[in-house]
Amino acid sequence: MESVVAARALTKRFRDRTAVDNLDLIIGPGDRVGLLGPNGAGKTTTLLMLLGAISPDAGTIELAGFRLPHHRSKALGHVGFVAGYLPLPENLKVREALTIFAGFYGIRRPTRIIETAIERFGIGHLADQQSRELSSGQRTLVSIVKSTLHEPRLLVLDEPTASLDPDVAGRVRTALLDIHGEYGTTLLVTSHNMREVETLCERVVIIARGAVAADGSPAEVAASFDTDDLESAFLEIAARSRARGGAEDHPGALQ
Amino acid sequence: MSPIRIRAVMHRHWIVLRRAPHRWFEISFWPVMDVLLWGSVGAYIKHQTPGSQAATPFLLAGIVLFWTFTQAQFSIALGVNEETWTRNILNVLTTPVTELEYIVGIALFGLLKLALCMLTLTVATIAFFGFDLSQVGWAVIPIMLLLLINGWALAMMVVGLVLRFGQSAEILIWGFNYMLMAFSGVFVPSNSLPRGLRTVARQLPTTRAFAALRAVLGGHPLPWGTLGISLVGSLMFFAGAIAFASWLLSIFRKRGFVTRYS
Repeated sequence: MESVVAARALTKRFRDRTAVDNLDLIIGPGDRVGLLGPNGAGKTTTLLMLLGAISPDAGTIELAGFRLPHHRSKALGHVGFVAGYLPLPENLKVREALTIFAGFYGIRRPTRIIETAIERFGIGHLADQQSRELSSGQRTLVSIVKSTLHEPRLLVLDEPTASLDPDVAGRVRTALLDIHGEYGTTLLVTSHNMREVETLCERVVIIARGAVAADGSPAEVAASFDTDDLESAFLEIAARSRARGGAEDHPGALQ
Repeated sequence: MSPIRIRAVMHRHWIVLRRAPHRWFEISFWPVMDVLLWGSVGAYIKHQTPGSQAATPFLLAGIVLFWTFTQAQFSIALGVNEETWTRNILNVLTTPVTELEYIVGIALFGLLKLALCMLTLTVATIAFFGFDLSQVGWAVIPIMLLLLINGWALAMMVVGLVLRFGQSAEILIWGFNYMLMAFSGVFVPSNSLPRGLRTVARQLPTTRAFAALRAVLGGHPLPWGTLGISLVGSLMFFAGAIAFASWLLSIFRKRGFVTRYS
């Protein structure tokens, strides 16, 4: 079956630093993949290249069968993006923001779709609030609603539960698993919460110094580093990366 | 191009305009202040120099048409900047909206703002100084079209510079606008400029557009030759500005500058 993400030999340099180094990432339909790595490992750079917001120096990207950058618009019609750090546009009420983004996704008559989504995610009480008045958790929930209005084949989530309390983070995870279960949406998630990744993802790809350091199920990755769990494997990879003069917090990498 | 996505861009900026009182300043407050300033200068000249009754119409027609240029420029440049101020660029870039659709959306919405601005200016010039630009007739339409093209072109240049150099380049939105105002002979012929600057002024398509306006106000027929040269220059400027902005956008993507706004 056609892959939803097919990135081959992706490379990105910022000045003299290589943020992403010859990275291959193939993700099939309905997969739930965690993209992990130490700070500065190249996760966000990789995601932004996959979304067409940053141009790679080398390599090819296909999203939902559409090659970037030439078919970026068509490809992004099948993709939703949520980032815990991104605000919703100010001056817009939640329902207005959803209406506008539905338009951006080319939905001709969005009213019913929006009302259904508002009800489904239980955010009816937020619908007439100004976006800037939302808490972090509410904002993330609304962002997920915004990014799934067009029933994307791929949902890309960059640290979706960062700065959320455990209760709200749990609701966000439940919402994501519901979306995956109902629509078979492929999930590509970055997170520093290893327990979350183990709950949410059936496959993890750990990158360090811009290259793939491990790829498999959470249990397989833990076993490959002779550790008991994903967090220990992650710490082992981070330690090795540091020992090799790794990319942690290096100024050329995107955080 | 998708009309649905273009309409969504227009809708987004309509809500911004509706919700932000300071945005109405560009449509109402500044234009009215300009009318008062230049209209009173014209009235003073008329009072001081008998026989120069034409000063007020020349100055007011100049400022009214210059607002055509300004609104065209601001609609695109401030429209894109709205997304940087609200850290919304990455949200937009990760949707199917193309750069062209976005620009077309804000330019079309800018036409609505232009219409509101022209209404304000017309009411103000009639109410304060008894001057009605519509009496000049249809001749102002081709001049306005030329100024629209130039405003959009300048906006594309500025947007490219803001994407490339960040928010510190925003000042150019207003800086270039006033530079063009000084060099284009909006109120007086460009040969009133210091000698060394006249050559620069003559190269600008906007200078010829305002020269055509003065000719019409002076009771002459519309100088089609001057307008033709201005049109060629305007189209060259427009094409060059698009190429320039596209080049800077490619640098924006290549160097990952989008993270400045996320």
